[in-house]
Amino acid sequence: MEIHPFARAREYPDSVFHDVIPNESELTGGVTIEPGKQYGFFTDTTVCIGCKSCEVACKEWNNLPADDIGLTGQSYDNTGALSANTWRHVNFIEKKQALADDTAERPARGVRDNDQNAFQSGWLMMSDVCKHCHHAPCMESCPTGALFKTEFDTVVVQQDICNGCGYCVSACPFGVVALNPLDGKAHKCTLCYDRLKGGLEPACAKACPTESIQFGELSDLWERAATRVEDLHARGVTSAYTYGTPDAPGATGDMKYLNSFFLLTDRPEAYNLPAAPTRPSNRVAPAFAAGLSTIAGLALAAAVLFAGAKTTRD
Amino acid sequence: MPEHRDGRAVSKGAASPEAAAWKGPTYYGRSQLKPSPFNAWVVGGYIFLAGLSGASAVVSTVAEAVQGERGASIGRKGRYLSMLAPLVGAPLLILDLHTPTRFYNMWRIVKRTSPMSLGTWILTAFIGGAGVAVVAQLGVDLLGLKWLKRIARLGSAPAAITGAGISTYTAALLAATSAPYWAADEKGLGVRFASSSIAAGSAALALGEKSRSTRRTLNAITGIALLTELVATAVHHKNVKAKGVGASLESEWAHIEEAAVLGLGVLLPLGLYVASRRLGDRKRAGAVSDLASLAVMAGSAMLRVSTIRIGQDSASRPEVSLRFSQPENLPKKRRA
Repeated sequence: MEIHPFARAREYPDSVFHDVIPNESELTGGVTIEPGKQYGFFTDTTVCIGCKSCEVACKEWNNLPADDIGLTGQSYDNTGALSANTWRHVNFIEKKQALADDTAERPARGVRDNDQNAFQSGWLMMSDVCKHCHHAPCMESCPTGALFKTEFDTVVVQQDICNGCGYCVSACPFGVVALNPLDGKAHKCTLCYDRLKGGLEPACAKACPTESIQFGELSDLWERAATRVEDLHARGVTSAYTYGTPDAPGATGDMKYLNSFFLLTDRPEAYNLPAAPTRPSNRVAPAFAAGLSTIAGLALAAAVLFAGAKTTRD
Repeated sequence: MPEHRDGRAVSKGAASPEAAAWKGPTYYGRSQLKPSPFNAWVVGGYIFLAGLSGASAVVSTVAEAVQGERGASIGRKGRYLSMLAPLVGAPLLILDLHTPTRFYNMWRIVKRTSPMSLGTWILTAFIGGAGVAVVAQLGVDLLGLKWLKRIARLGSAPAAITGAGISTYTAALLAATSAPYWAADEKGLGVRFASSSIAAGSAALALGEKSRSTRRTLNAITGIALLTELVATAVHHKNVKAKGVGASLESEWAHIEEAAVLGLGVLLPLGLYVASRRLGDRKRAGAVSDLASLAVMAGSAMLRVSTIRIGQDSASRPEVSLRFSQPENLPKKRRA
């Protein structure tokens, strides 16, 4: 439950430590990490400042190399997308005024009509991450059991089991999991499984300077998010809503809920998120049934034809 | 739900051309999904061979069951053809893994939500049944051990049952993903793959068949399967368009599908079968029938390759995937 971080922080007034602080997450995130409970991320995009500390912290802790050091020309986003080596990715959506030559067929990409001024008045930033879905399609599709649910209700790829079939990549409705061609295995955010085991909150959440990324118990996070949405609505930001909480966009089609969920202020597509993803494993039985009944029907037709055929020896 | 999120004009017709693609914002046109990293030729080749092997086991076992001793020659051919999936198909599957040395991890678990896991076990069972049958058949053919005939026929029964599985599970394999073209109509894909498998299996059995009546029966089965495939293709494409994934049917590979699958694989052989029946000259009739069989098999292979490529294309295009994941495409009954 809620522990005020300052209460425990007062126990450690020194600036240099010689040991790891037990249950450090209580100091930094106000949460005690215990196996058997559900943990996740609440990413509040309204306070994201696009500093990319989460990307850096993730790369440092997980020893991940840079994907590409070039410039994309897409606002301040030079990371591009989540990948096998990039498990946090900050989206930059620059809202500009509509241009006179914009047409419905050719709207400027990533640019929408609004009444805000150009330049820095219409920024949306969002730190994207693996959603650690309740019914995780990657895990449901994994034929080796390399992808599993941890004791913290997160979804992790076991690197010593994955054989690189790549099926999880096509199953993910959010385009998160990716194969690394160098080692031939699937990779994605582990929600810092190793840190959770050591009582540390995930690197990105710890590094986030504005509490845009909050780590905690799912039930607490849902409450916090609901309060935040109410607060924002009261302040006039009526467009605020949660993505990935039960019965919200992103948790559709039997997905139930996403352990890492978001507070957004524009439609999901603007953030490159699907408005209504579905659970792929629900399509297994109908596809099998349709295929097998077709085979049965054609086999029956074959039986009738074979039975009616005359024998000729030519 | 915030009001301005409803800004998109709701199309009135269920499958109006306006519904073809997502007109709203995308993130700099970047992909929203990651396309499947399958090699279309390798995996498509496996799906084709699994379909051909499985279906030839089904058709030949039916022939033996119905015709008894008369159907023994088809049964024998079917047992040899069923070795294509284990001997060529399975190595292709391993080749497509990015860590092939760990292929055996597929046997760690059974998972009913994963068609790839189910398929592994169905293929394993198929290899068992078909393997027994083909070894017994080799004993009959090479060593003249007549008593092995019964074992060969006994092995064909489980091979036929699991053969139905390996020739169709691959549709579930593609449908149980998030790639819009594969996911849009899982039943349509199932019927298309199944009918194409039976067509290819039956065409392979007819290849080089000396007996005219057997050839004609097999060609009739292939013909029925091709007509089923033709109807299933039309229905599948219609349903795909109704889900707003129609834009993926305008890609390069969709045109290749049209030419290679429908033209070469369905319409040409149907015409050739009619011609073969009318030809008086037996040798030429046989040659025309063989040509048709080859065309059917080529079309069946191209169906799988083009389906994979169109699916990968649909996943990498945000205007297709964001349109597919609109709330109106959610399964209807599941809302509580």
